[in-house]
Amino acid sequence: MSTIKLPNLETKPGRKSPSALATSARRAFLSSIERGAGGARAHRRFADGVDAVIREIVREARVQSTTPVAVVALGGYGRRALCLHSDLDLLIVFDGTIGEEEESFVKAVLLPLWDLRFSVGHQVRILSDFDEFERDNPEFLLALMDARPLAGDRAVFDAVEARFKGPGIAANEEVLEALLQLTEQRHEKFNHTLYQLEPDIKDAPGGLRDISAARLLLSLMDAHPSSSAIDRDRLDDAEDFFLRLRSLLHLDEGRNLNVLTHDLQEKAADRLRYSGAQSQQRVEGLMGGYFRNARHVARALARARRLPGPGGGDTTRVTLGPNLELTAAGVVFTDAQAAASQPSSWFQAFELSLEHQVPVSDQALELFERHGVECRPADLLPDAEGQQRLLRFLTPRLGLYARLAAMHECGLLTALFPKFKAISCLVIRDFYHKYTVDEHTLLTIRGVERIATDSRSNRARFRAILEELRSPELLVLALIFHDVGKWKDDNHAEESVRMARPMLDRLGVSAEDREDVEFLIGQHLQMSRAAFQRDAVDPVVVRDFAELVGTEERLKMLCLMTLVDIEAVSSGTLTPWKEDVMWRLYVDTYNQLTLGYGDEVIGGGQGAAALQASRPADIVEEELARFLEGFPRRYLALYGPDQIYRHTRLARDIHPGEVHTFLEHKGDTWNLTVASLDRPLLFSSISGVLSYCGMSILRGFAMTSDADLVLDAFQFTDAEGFLRLNENAPQRLEALLQDVVAGREDISVMLGRKERGVQGRRRPRRVAPVVYVDNEYSQRYTVLEVVTEDALGLLNRVSRLISEHGCDVDLVLISTEGNKAIDVFHLTTASAKLTESAQMGLKADLEKMLEEGYETD
Amino acid sequence: MKLIKAIIRPNKVDDIKEALDKLHVSGMTVTEVRGHGRQKGHTAVYRGKEYNVSLLPKMQIEVVVGDELLDAAVEAVVGAARTGEIGDGRVFVIPVDHAYHIRTGERDVI
Repeated sequence: MSTIKLPNLETKPGRKSPSALATSARRAFLSSIERGAGGARAHRRFADGVDAVIREIVREARVQSTTPVAVVALGGYGRRALCLHSDLDLLIVFDGTIGEEEESFVKAVLLPLWDLRFSVGHQVRILSDFDEFERDNPEFLLALMDARPLAGDRAVFDAVEARFKGPGIAANEEVLEALLQLTEQRHEKFNHTLYQLEPDIKDAPGGLRDISAARLLLSLMDAHPSSSAIDRDRLDDAEDFFLRLRSLLHLDEGRNLNVLTHDLQEKAADRLRYSGAQSQQRVEGLMGGYFRNARHVARALARARRLPGPGGGDTTRVTLGPNLELTAAGVVFTDAQAAASQPSSWFQAFELSLEHQVPVSDQALELFERHGVECRPADLLPDAEGQQRLLRFLTPRLGLYARLAAMHECGLLTALFPKFKAISCLVIRDFYHKYTVDEHTLLTIRGVERIATDSRSNRARFRAILEELRSPELLVLALIFHDVGKWKDDNHAEESVRMARPMLDRLGVSAEDREDVEFLIGQHLQMSRAAFQRDAVDPVVVRDFAELVGTEERLKMLCLMTLVDIEAVSSGTLTPWKEDVMWRLYVDTYNQLTLGYGDEVIGGGQGAAALQASRPADIVEEELARFLEGFPRRYLALYGPDQIYRHTRLARDIHPGEVHTFLEHKGDTWNLTVASLDRPLLFSSISGVLSYCGMSILRGFAMTSDADLVLDAFQFTDAEGFLRLNENAPQRLEALLQDVVAGREDISVMLGRKERGVQGRRRPRRVAPVVYVDNEYSQRYTVLEVVTEDALGLLNRVSRLISEHGCDVDLVLISTEGNKAIDVFHLTTASAKLTESAQMGLKADLEKMLEEGYETD
Repeated sequence: MKLIKAIIRPNKVDDIKEALDKLHVSGMTVTEVRGHGRQKGHTAVYRGKEYNVSLLPKMQIEVVVGDELLDAAVEAVVGAARTGEIGDGRVFVIPVDHAYHIRTGERDVI
C-alpha cells in the first residue's frame, strides 16, 4: 500500500496555503453577510475563494498519481452559488482505471478539505462511466448540468462535458425528465404551495432550486423566442434576495440550514434593516418581500415548463368567444389592447379556461395584473347575470383551485372579493399553521375539489355528502370568506361574517342561502370543537351540535368545511383518526336530526319567547303558542320568524276536511305549504296530488302539532310544466288538493292510471332499496327510513302502504338527492310505538313494493 | 422510574396535561389510537345501513415519572380523565430501566 503524502496546509513562501486561502475567503464572505450584502456576488466571490483552496490542494495532490484527472464542481458550487456552510459537491474523474495511486490522490484532495471544515459531497468516476447516462440517478444527472472545471486536466473535463452537455445532445431529454420528476417530488413535500409560514429558502416552491430549474429549462429549450416572456433580470433579483437571506441563516445557525423559521425571520428582518417600530412589522416587510420573489420565481418556472421545445409548438387557434381564443398557450385575448379597456370581459377567460380545462394564458394574466389593480367588482361583473355566473363558477370541480389561485396571483380575486385583501400573504404565527391565511383558504377549496373529483381518494363517504348538497357553490363561497376576519386578533369568525355581508348583498344571494353562508362562516370552528374538544360520543354533545346546525344541509356543509379546514392547516393535520371522529359525529348528528328530532317538541311556551317578542299585531300570543305547541323544535330551525308567522295565519280558522295552501315560486323551484287538520291518509293524499300534477319533489316535511294541526311543506320542480303551461294552474292545484283532502276525489285511483303507464316498463335500478325500522332511537315513535330510487308517486305509494298497515304518520322528512329518495317517517299506532310484528310486516311489504317495476340484479 | 400509559377520551388530553403540570411533571407523548375495552363499540346506522364502530377513537398519553411521583401522577391522570361513564379508559404503569436524553446523553434524568 502506498503512503499518502498530504499537502502542507501551512504557508509557503510566495504562495498562500489552503488554510490561509480558506480563512481569507470565509472572512470576506462573513463581512459581506454581516453588512446584509451576502447576495449572489458575495456567493460567487466565496466560490472563487474556495476554488483557489481546491486548486492549491489538487496541485500538491498531483504527486500521488500520473493518471489524467479533472476535479469538477457540481450543483450549486458549480453555479458559484456557494453559501457559508453549503456542501462542496465535487466530481473527480480519471481518464484511466482507479488503482492505489488514484485512491491516494482522492484522499490527498479530500482529507485537507475535511481538515479545513468543509462539508464535501464527492463522486469519483472514470471517463468510461459517462458512456451511458445514469438514468436511475436523476440528482447526479442534474448536478452535472452545472459542472465547472476546478483543477486538473482540462481535456478530461471537456471529454466528460461533450458526452452530456450541448445543443442537440440526446441527454437533454433525460435531463428534462429528471428535472421535472425531481421538481414534482420536491413540490409535493411542500403541498405544492409557496406560501409557507416557515419556508425552506432552497427547496420550497418558488425557492432557489426553482430558480435553477427555470434557468435549466430555458437552456434546454434552446432559448425559444417565447422564452423572452420570462424576465431573467427579475429572476436574478429574486436569487440575490434569497441568497442574502440564506447567508444570514448560515451565519446565525452556524450550519447548512435553509429553513426561515419564525425566530430567524426576526433576526433576518433586523439584520436586513426592514423598517417598523415593532418586530412583527419588520417581519411582515421581510416576508412580504419573500412571497413577492417566490411568486415571481414560481411563475417563471411555470412559464418555462409550458415553453414549446425547439421548433415551436402547436399554432392552432380556436375561437371561444368574443375576443377570446384557445391556443397552445391557453385562453388568450385576440386583441389584448381592446381587452385591456374591457374589464367586464376578463372573468370569462377564467370561465372558459375551467370549462375547457386549459390554463389562462400568460398574456391574459399579465393583462389582468397590469390593468386590474384599480378594478372594483362592478367593473368586472357589472350586472346580476354576471354575479350569478360568478356563483356558478364556484361549483366544486376539477381545476377550480388552480383558477382561483391564478386569479389571486394576478389580483383578480381581490378585485372580485375586495375583503380578501385583508388576508393576502397574512402570516398568523401558531404551532399548527404552515401556510399564509390566503393560501390556507385556497387550499380548503382544493380540498373540496379533491373530494369532488378524486375517485382514488379514500373519502368516498364525504364525496357522497358533497354530491347531495343542494348548492355546493355556497360552501366554496363560505370557504373564501371563512378566515377573512383573521386580520383582527379576536373572534375572527364573527369578523369574517361582518366582512362577508357586503359581498352577499352584491351577489344577490337569496335570504335562505345567505343565512346558510353566514352560518357556515360564523360557526366554522364549532364542529371541530364538538369533535375534538368535547366528548363526541356523548349524546348531550351530539344533541347540542344538532341543535346548532338545525338541518341536514347545514350539517353536511359544516362537516365538509371542517374537514378541508383541518386538512389545509398543514399536510399532516388531517389524520385518518380525525376523519373517523368527524364521520362519527356527522352520522350521530344526522341521526339526531332525522331519527331523534321528534322527541324534542315545543311546549309550555319554551323556545318561542323570541317569536312572541317580535310577533306582529294581527297574531295574538295565545294563537301563536297554540299553533307551535307540540311541533318538533326542529321546526324553529327550518324557518325564520316571518315564515312562522305566515304559517300561523295559514292555520287560522281551519276546519276538518279543509286545506289552506300557500304556493310561491323561487328560482327554479316551487314551495307549497299546506295546513290541514289530521285525518287518515292525509300525507299520502297531498303527496299524491303533487305526483299527479307531475311535480318532482325535492324535499319537504310534515309535522303534527298537539292540536292535530298538520303542516306539510314541499319544495318541488314543475317537471311536467303543469304550473308553467296551464292557465290558473295554482288555483287548479289548490282546488284538487281541497277535493282530495275532503274525500271528493280519490287520488290513488287518479294516480294509479298515470303510474301504470310508467310502471309497465321495467327500469334499471341505480339505487338498491333500503328499508330500516328503528324502535329505539326515539322515545315516542317508531322511525321508518326508506332509501330508494326516486320514482313517480313513490311518496304516495309508501305513505299509503303505511296507512294501510294502520299506522299514523306523525312526522315526515323528505329528501331527494339526485335519483335517490331518502324519506324518514315517524310512526305510531294508537299513539304508541309499533309492535315488533307490526314493524316486520310493514318492512316486508315495503321491501316487496319497492322491488316492483325494476329489473332484477 | 415508571412509564404511565393511559388510554383516555380524546377530549381529556388538556385536562390531564394541566393536572400533571401542577405536579411539575413535564414531557408527554400523545398518540391518536383506536380500541375498545368493556365499551366494545357499537353498531351505528346511517341511512338504514349498519356499520360497525367497534374500535373507538381514543388518545394514548405516555409519561415517564420518578417512583416518588408515581402515585400522585396516576391519581392526577385518573382524576382528570374520569367522567364516571363507560369508556373513560385505562391507565397502565410499566417499569422503566433507564432513560437517556438523546442530545446530551444524560441518563436517568427525567
